[in-house]
Amino acid sequence: MIVDGEYTFPAPRQTVWTLLQDPDVLVKAMPGAKHLTSTGDGAYEGVIRIGVGPVTAAEWSLTVLLSDRTPPESYTMQVDSKGTLGFTRGNAKVELLDEAGSTRMRYRADLQVGGKVAGVGQRLLDQVAKMMTKQGLEALSREMKTRLAEDQEAAPA
Amino acid sequence: MSRRYVGEWVTRNEDQRLLTGHALFVDDVRLEGMLHVAFVRSDHAHAVLRGVDASAARARPGVVAVYTAEDLGDYWQPGPLLVPPPPIDGIVFNLATQVPLAKDRLRHVGEPIAMVVAESRYLAEDALADVVVDAEPLEPVTDLERALEPDAPVIHPQLGTNLAAHVVQRHGDYEEAKSRADLVLSRRFHYDRGASAAIENRAVAARWDGQAQELTIWDTTQAPIPIRNGLAGMLGLMQSQVRVVAPFVGGGFGPKIMMFYPEEVLVPWAAMRLGRPVKWTEDRQENFFATTQERGQVHDAEIALSRDGRILGVRDSFLHDTGAYDPYGLTVPINSQCTLLGPYDVPAYDAEFRAVFTNRTTVTPVRGAGRQHGVFVMERLLDFAARELGMDAAEIRRVNYLVQDDFPHDHKILFQDFQPLVYDSGNYRPALEKALELIRWEGFPEEKRRAREEGRRLGVGVVSYVEGTGIGPYEGARVTIEPSGRVRVATGLGTQGQGHYTAFAQIVAEALDVDVARVGVVTGDTREFNWGTGTFASRGAVVAGSACHAAAQAVRAKVLGVAARVLNVPEGEVELWDGHARVRAEPQRSLPYGELAMRANPLRGGVSPGTEPGLEATAYFGPDRGSTASGVHAVVVEVDAETAMAKFLRYVVVHDCGKLINPVLVEGQVQGGVAHGIGNAFFEKLHYDESGQLQNASFMDYLLPTALDVPEVSMAHRETPAPMNPLGLKGVGEAGCIPTGAAFAQAVEDALSDLSIEIREIPLSPNRLFELLREAPAPSSQGTAP
Repeated sequence: MIVDGEYTFPAPRQTVWTLLQDPDVLVKAMPGAKHLTSTGDGAYEGVIRIGVGPVTAAEWSLTVLLSDRTPPESYTMQVDSKGTLGFTRGNAKVELLDEAGSTRMRYRADLQVGGKVAGVGQRLLDQVAKMMTKQGLEALSREMKTRLAEDQEAAPA
Repeated sequence: MSRRYVGEWVTRNEDQRLLTGHALFVDDVRLEGMLHVAFVRSDHAHAVLRGVDASAARARPGVVAVYTAEDLGDYWQPGPLLVPPPPIDGIVFNLATQVPLAKDRLRHVGEPIAMVVAESRYLAEDALADVVVDAEPLEPVTDLERALEPDAPVIHPQLGTNLAAHVVQRHGDYEEAKSRADLVLSRRFHYDRGASAAIENRAVAARWDGQAQELTIWDTTQAPIPIRNGLAGMLGLMQSQVRVVAPFVGGGFGPKIMMFYPEEVLVPWAAMRLGRPVKWTEDRQENFFATTQERGQVHDAEIALSRDGRILGVRDSFLHDTGAYDPYGLTVPINSQCTLLGPYDVPAYDAEFRAVFTNRTTVTPVRGAGRQHGVFVMERLLDFAARELGMDAAEIRRVNYLVQDDFPHDHKILFQDFQPLVYDSGNYRPALEKALELIRWEGFPEEKRRAREEGRRLGVGVVSYVEGTGIGPYEGARVTIEPSGRVRVATGLGTQGQGHYTAFAQIVAEALDVDVARVGVVTGDTREFNWGTGTFASRGAVVAGSACHAAAQAVRAKVLGVAARVLNVPEGEVELWDGHARVRAEPQRSLPYGELAMRANPLRGGVSPGTEPGLEATAYFGPDRGSTASGVHAVVVEVDAETAMAKFLRYVVVHDCGKLINPVLVEGQVQGGVAHGIGNAFFEKLHYDESGQLQNASFMDYLLPTALDVPEVSMAHRETPAPMNPLGLKGVGEAGCIPTGAAFAQAVEDALSDLSIEIREIPLSPNRLFELLREAPAPSSQGTAP
């Protein structure tokens, strides 16, 4: 399943880049992610709660690996989660384009879902993946706005 | 004059127990101290299994044991090859059978990795989450053509290839036939996977009795005796120490003849090891992933005909998806290859297939067992040829039928039972004419025109098929008249709703002239009968029924002998009448069977040397080869060209299963088969994605036809007795579903005749039909648009 699209953040590219490497921010970009900790060199581990349609939400283990990093332009993100009901494997190519004070993100993710969750949730998976992506990006945007506001308050007048 | 039971409409002996809730199913087995099982299964279609950590699961309260492949020790063995490949020249067959628990590779989603045994199913299911599976995904093999490319990942590294088999069978000279042809048509056909969807899933329960040193296994199998023999061997027990009971089973349809399923091997082993009864009942989702499936073939077929529509030759080359393992050998693709020939005179046949391993659930026979694939290809080729030649669909079949003088007809290729594909008997044309009459073929163009004026699209289809049934090797039966005068019949095969308790009772009741309700049948309990093979290939009535007949005849001879002795008349003067033996000339001198049974088993006094006690006999029947059933299906459908929904308006089956034992049972089989066939044609399809993940593993997404979708089938029976068995029987279990897809395709095309679509795939669905309609060229003339 391919999930792709674009999203514009109201922040300069370097700021967006920095925030996207921060596990405390990243965790907010993944709806259901309960915590995420950095294990070094672009690798993160955590727990995510996933439920799709008739599949009851359950906690899955989550690993994220950022690679091919070209700051502040692009990176590849590998997201794996697994639980008793199956697994997901996602590989996303993320590009950040500088647009006069704001940043346009272009993403294209190839998402694989396996096991029970694939067997019963299929009709809904497409919608759920798109919805989770949208929710994630919006959450990320809110977080950025908050951070920027904090930075501005903290900045000397 | 004795009473007739064979061929009569007799209500089912088993229904009272079934309808009042007194029939035992495996999940009803509840024993003190019973443990329950859940399986950790693969989420991956193809992966290296690096390790399984069950320590947390073992520590969970309520969990009694967790087993992985390593824990099985020497008990871990790949399953047996059930059906060896037939002795065809040049055959290639590569064997890879299923294993009890995955050891180093995962080969399909749902393959068992670990077995959790706990005090309840709830606890066992909870503990699944504690088992950590370390798997490294490999590129899955899902496309049949891609699987055979040299750089494709190999599912069974020891074989070095994904080719499971390559078989070529030929008769006549196809090239020569083609060179003489007026019309040559070639097409590619797809037939995709479906589930058997029995109402009862698989289940196994086992109890080890240490004092009796006896293992009892309740199993939903269609083959209780081979299960007993196999498990006794694996567990190091004598066959006599193992009792397998296949009680009432809620539908077999083929996957329950598969053995040995991993769960079937593990549950009895765990019961012995733990010294407590153990039970596992498959849930519906497991059934979708772990019970064997069928279909998945791609055919490239060509037909050569003369101008008058006569078949000169057929060439067919197909790929068959055997799934992750091939324990059932080549039964399904050989059935496809042989059944393609249908009721037709095909002077030249050039047939080839390759069976291919894929990372999907293993394929074994499901009702029809590959026959429907062959029928679909042949019937579609005839339809396309008829269109090209401007012939009527019925006429092109009529001119190609084998006729009476052709029987027995040898197609000079081998069938699934390793015997030459010889049709023992048949009479096809009258069946076609009857079907045309019942579907109202002649008046149909007018009916179609009138419906079109109302904006409705109707279409008609008529197709033929043959079905090789009733194959060997053998079945047996024991018939006993008890001192109560009641008769008991025991046979080794299992019963899954076919009505064996009635059909076998009728055969015995007629031979002994006793009320059919006084004949009790027991099937599927290895303690009751020691020998047999199983219920498959539409063979129960033919093979076990013939054994019942033979055993009943032997008991009849004993009754006559004992009666003659007791009544002191020559045997020739004794006749049997309504549960009594009497002197023909003096009917008042009469003895009930019960008394004769006691006389045949005296407590004191002498019996003649060499006499067997009691009124009991055991007999076996093994036909040289199967008997060929045949039939014609005709259907009228209504298709909505906008929504692509199709409705079955009328469905006709004219069927020839030789002599009927009981029309109500035959009609039930045919009606049920048609429901299955309609599901396969238009509703049911297992959707796998390109990574081998099954996407519709529940009845929310896997559509079964309902009572609203399946019309009441209008039936006519023709009886061309089989020469291969004493009662002239042929099988009927699969007849309803074999040609359904082909009939449906023809009718849908007819309903959409102005849109010139060609249906070359099954299953269709409203979605798929919608796509075909969108791809179709615009109607030729504007006046015919809806």
